[in-house]
Amino acid sequence: MLKAMLIKEFILIMRDKHALAALFIMPSIFILIMSMALKDTFGNDHALLNYTIIDRNQTVQSEQVNTLLRVNTLFQKHDLVIKDQTELQKALNGDVHFVISIPSDFTENLGKKQLDTALLHIDVATDVKPEMVSLVKSALAGIIRQQRLQKIQNDLKIFLPDIAQKLDGFSFEAQDVLDIHYNGMKAEQVPSSTQQSVPSWIVFGMFFIIIPMSTIFINERTQNTLLRMHAMNISIPALFTGKIVPYMVINQIQVWLMIGVGIFIVPLLGAEALTLGNSIAGLVMVSTGLSLAAIGTSILIAVSVNTVEQATTIGGISNILFGAIGGIMVPKFFMPQVMQTLTNISPMSWGLEGFLDIFLRGLGAQAVIKESLALAGFGVGLLMIAWLIFSYRTKRGI
Amino acid sequence: MISIRNLVKRYDDQLPLQQLNLRAEKGIIFGRLGPNGAGKTTLISILNGLTNFQEGEIEILGLPLRKNLKAIRRRSTFIPQSLALYDHLSVIENLRFFAGIQSISGETLRKNIDYAISVNRLQPLTEKKASTLSGGQKRRLNIAIGLLNNPDILYFDEPTVGIDPESRGEILETIRSFKHDNKTVIYTSHYMEEIEKICDEAAILNAGEIVRQGSLTSLLQNNNDHSAVIECIHPNREQLSKIADGHDGTELFNSNKLMVLRPNSKKMAALLADLEAKDIQLKQIRYDSINLESLFISLTSRENPDA
Repeated sequence: MLKAMLIKEFILIMRDKHALAALFIMPSIFILIMSMALKDTFGNDHALLNYTIIDRNQTVQSEQVNTLLRVNTLFQKHDLVIKDQTELQKALNGDVHFVISIPSDFTENLGKKQLDTALLHIDVATDVKPEMVSLVKSALAGIIRQQRLQKIQNDLKIFLPDIAQKLDGFSFEAQDVLDIHYNGMKAEQVPSSTQQSVPSWIVFGMFFIIIPMSTIFINERTQNTLLRMHAMNISIPALFTGKIVPYMVINQIQVWLMIGVGIFIVPLLGAEALTLGNSIAGLVMVSTGLSLAAIGTSILIAVSVNTVEQATTIGGISNILFGAIGGIMVPKFFMPQVMQTLTNISPMSWGLEGFLDIFLRGLGAQAVIKESLALAGFGVGLLMIAWLIFSYRTKRGI
Repeated sequence: MISIRNLVKRYDDQLPLQQLNLRAEKGIIFGRLGPNGAGKTTLISILNGLTNFQEGEIEILGLPLRKNLKAIRRRSTFIPQSLALYDHLSVIENLRFFAGIQSISGETLRKNIDYAISVNRLQPLTEKKASTLSGGQKRRLNIAIGLLNNPDILYFDEPTVGIDPESRGEILETIRSFKHDNKTVIYTSHYMEEIEKICDEAAILNAGEIVRQGSLTSLLQNNNDHSAVIECIHPNREQLSKIADGHDGTELFNSNKLMVLRPNSKKMAALLADLEAKDIQLKQIRYDSINLESLFISLTSRENPDA
């Protein structure tokens, strides 16, 4: 009996071109687009902001500001000549995000204990976010600290050469003074945009089954095929099992297809390839839990609504809501604290955390037991509610 | 074969079936007639174990329904009015699927599929996708699916809705052939001529009760009277209803027809005068002996103006 139901379900899906596109092509395209789109955001070797410098000081010190800033890969210098306020505004309305003005008395002021005026003046384009301005501020403050210390050292050389000598060779370079290690990754290894975005799109893609699954179910109900099967002694648990098993297989195919896209296709487009992490078992656990959650949601929607249109609308909206709340579309760390707490109500968030544990944090199956069980529990809970609703509606003939 | 005694079905405060009694013997085609809401669907759902009932006893194939539902279902089949099949599957895939879920396999599977295909003349269509079949072919596939368990009882719910006369004739012929295989058919239809054509016995349901039951011959033999049907052109329904209420033995049906039982010249003259006074134009007047349609109208139209 189950064999016949599985074969039927697979044939129906395989012959439904729209369902296939929604299940396999759309998530793969998502991964390609988002990996490429976020490549610059998460990558380390691409500038986030463009700048230019107006150097009225023209000294070794002002040139040093220029040199130290060039080393910072977050910023890209545009060589423009800005003579007046109009040109400055034009630059800031164009590609330049900030303009650093080095005043003529910059060198003179570097050694002053009390500053009457700021050492540097920064003009920022209005579309630059405050977080980005903070990046500029901290980079320039570091450069200025370094230069003021050098100035003090030079002054000391005259009166206290021994002490000044001790200051020679002090390093201020970030890579020398800070050792940054990404949790779960090897030394020097940096998480790529692919590694950070693919888990989100796998989770999102798995929930796409809501639409084809509920559509098939509602068609079966409205055409009385389910009623006919019921009259053929097919129980509700058998009917649900005939739905759950094929869609769990489909979800697994989706997961491995999307991982395949991350590993083999994304690098062809110039982004870094996805790496699998350390636990295949953990991946299977999280994806199985997610599968149950998605299937539970699909069947609950299918048994609760009356038409295919209602199912596709409610299914689509719940997919987007789960995704938006669950940190799929906007990373959780970008959200305010209240929203970050709210993410916990979305099963997509649990699945995402589980995948991030595997893909990003390098953790094993043990670490994702909690998320996997929560997802499976959520799915089974929804299936139980769906069972109650479906048996009520079947008995009432509605 | 099928025996129903004092059946009562309640939905909240509604009573879709009340003290219903019915008996259908083996090897007959039993017709069920009734206006919308008469309880036809509820009764077929109960007989197939799709909905429960509060009072009464039902025996099918000599077995009490409640205790032997699964066994009874294995020997009966429900052929719904809607096309309960899969458009994306071919004819043979549909048949294999519905056989598979009933755990029919091996030689029985081959034999039953062959039987279902041949009875419904589906041989040239087996590899075609159901979505590409004509309305009549789909109906035949719908019936073929119901034959996969080689049932003793077949419940048909309006199997000829929306198909051309030729296909309808073929389907009725198929249903009539089940009688030769000693199968019992419970046939529901709105088409009186179909019931008259293929059924041995019939029951007329109205408002949850059986208002008349018996062999077709006995149902019609007891009514040697004649009737007249007056068909009007675009009448005002309310006006026509008022006229019908004002004349004994006159019923309104199909919104534009008046049926006069035992018409005589006095009765007809008075009625026609009223119609003329209201400026209602006539299309035709047809005199006939009472047939199943007029019997049905006379038994059900008072309570149900849509009959």
